[in-house]
Amino acid sequence: MAAGFKTVEPLEYYRRFLKENCRPDGRELGEFRTTTVNIGSISTADGSALVKLGNTTIVCGVKAEFAAPPLDAPDRGYVVPNVDLPPLCSSRFRTGPPGEEAQVASQFIADVIENSQIIKKEDLCISPGKLAWVLYCDLICLDYDGNILDACTFALLAALKNVQLPEVTINEETALAEVNLKKKSYLNVRTTPVATSFAVFDDTLLIVDPTGEEEHLSTGTLTIVMDEEGKLCCLHKPGGSGLTGAKLQDCMSRAVTRHKEVNKLLDEVIQSMKHK
Amino acid sequence: MPGDHRRIRGPEESQPPQLYAADEDETPAARDPTRLRPVYARAGLLSQAKGSAYLEAGGTKVLCAVSGPRQAEGGERGGGPAGAGGEAPAALRGRLLCDFRRAPFSGRRRRAPQGGGEERELGLALQEALEPAVRLGRYPRAQLEVSALLLEDGGSALAAALTAAALALADAGVEMYDLVVGCGLSLTPGPSPTWLLDPTRLEEEHSAAGLTVALMPVLNQVAGLLGSGEGGQTESWTDAVRLGLEGCQRLYPVLQQCLVRAARRRSAAAPS
Repeated sequence: MAAGFKTVEPLEYYRRFLKENCRPDGRELGEFRTTTVNIGSISTADGSALVKLGNTTIVCGVKAEFAAPPLDAPDRGYVVPNVDLPPLCSSRFRTGPPGEEAQVASQFIADVIENSQIIKKEDLCISPGKLAWVLYCDLICLDYDGNILDACTFALLAALKNVQLPEVTINEETALAEVNLKKKSYLNVRTTPVATSFAVFDDTLLIVDPTGEEEHLSTGTLTIVMDEEGKLCCLHKPGGSGLTGAKLQDCMSRAVTRHKEVNKLLDEVIQSMKHK
Repeated sequence: MPGDHRRIRGPEESQPPQLYAADEDETPAARDPTRLRPVYARAGLLSQAKGSAYLEAGGTKVLCAVSGPRQAEGGERGGGPAGAGGEAPAALRGRLLCDFRRAPFSGRRRRAPQGGGEERELGLALQEALEPAVRLGRYPRAQLEVSALLLEDGGSALAAALTAAALALADAGVEMYDLVVGCGLSLTPGPSPTWLLDPTRLEEEHSAAGLTVALMPVLNQVAGLLGSGEGGQTESWTDAVRLGLEGCQRLYPVLQQCLVRAARRRSAAAPS
């Protein structure tokens, strides 16, 4: 009977739960789904990570290649993110060029990389004006159940921490690069940006980590990206219902606690990898 | 990519560091030509797809999802052998749309996410191999969408994708005559060529010819065959096909186990 009511009046069904300050899957309003992360499983990629936030699954693979630095910034490399939402992850996506949602997600990740300075592009330069690294970060969604921005940011962070670049020296006589694939070193990941997403219900109620259905029923969404010093890197609020300043402050404090949770999880995983 | 304004712009062109590395002479080690790598298969893992399967064989990791049946989009979409022939039978049969894509980080070199002709060819090969097994007559005017994603290419990618796609279709509850099991083979170059079953990526790179066979194990019928390269004598190709079919039969019990486990999990999770 509950399933019938849910199909006919999904919003009312949700409101009944929200009145009791909980959600249909048993979570509190401020509680995240179970987060699991798996690092370094794809050996063809230079760095990889798989993140599961409840059912939402994102895999991130980083490939490093050589390129000439941009003309207007000869001492910098490139970091090129790309979020792919294939028809595999949800029936609403079709094959073909990236749709609106994928483009928005790619731009969001590019903004996070730029604003948080997670990798300093100067670190990627090998020889100014001649050779630099370009990191292609490809994020593929395997299962779309809401809140992909959080999962994407986490996957990107975990994958970048896993990237190992081979040592490159420029031979003075031939002016060619010489790569030593045996000697690899980790990237210098300077900050740890962590995203926290919220959905707004009925213009007033805020819930954390919305699932696919909750996103569909919400009247607005908000994503806050914080780094470890409690500094705001990025705030993404694409339209939707307005929020008061006080509510925004609550969200930011929730984002700070989420940052600690994620950081702890990531440190545990990296430690366990090092012990192997 | 210069013209692609839907993706974040990177440099115009880039080269992989392997081009500048000291030449490592990696030749594949000799091994038993009939060895199959241990396979891990799991069905029913994606929440949003009707049916899904994940297959891992050595270094090859493939994920496949099935959605539908959905109302077929009219017009000249995709095409396939069903277009020709009589009007009524073709219109009433269901359609199978297969999409094969490689993740950009799945091979040695990064591939552009758009893919190209090779992926379309493999998608068509998937469709041709899966059609004999699916009872499309039971889904009139409908289409089933199968999408395979190759996360890591460790050799015999098409074979793994075929097997994963068949598992995903079975997991989705699509009516089938039989499962389809795929097996890859490659021919070693040189003076005494031998056919190797289930080649690794290194063996495929150093091979003179490659072959993928798809078998329906219970009906013992070949569903698909795709091969290319310099093979030599015709007898060696027939031997290769026989070897491949044996490999498929050996793989079948693992897949049966996987589907039984998935069905048990599904019935345990169902409320009633």
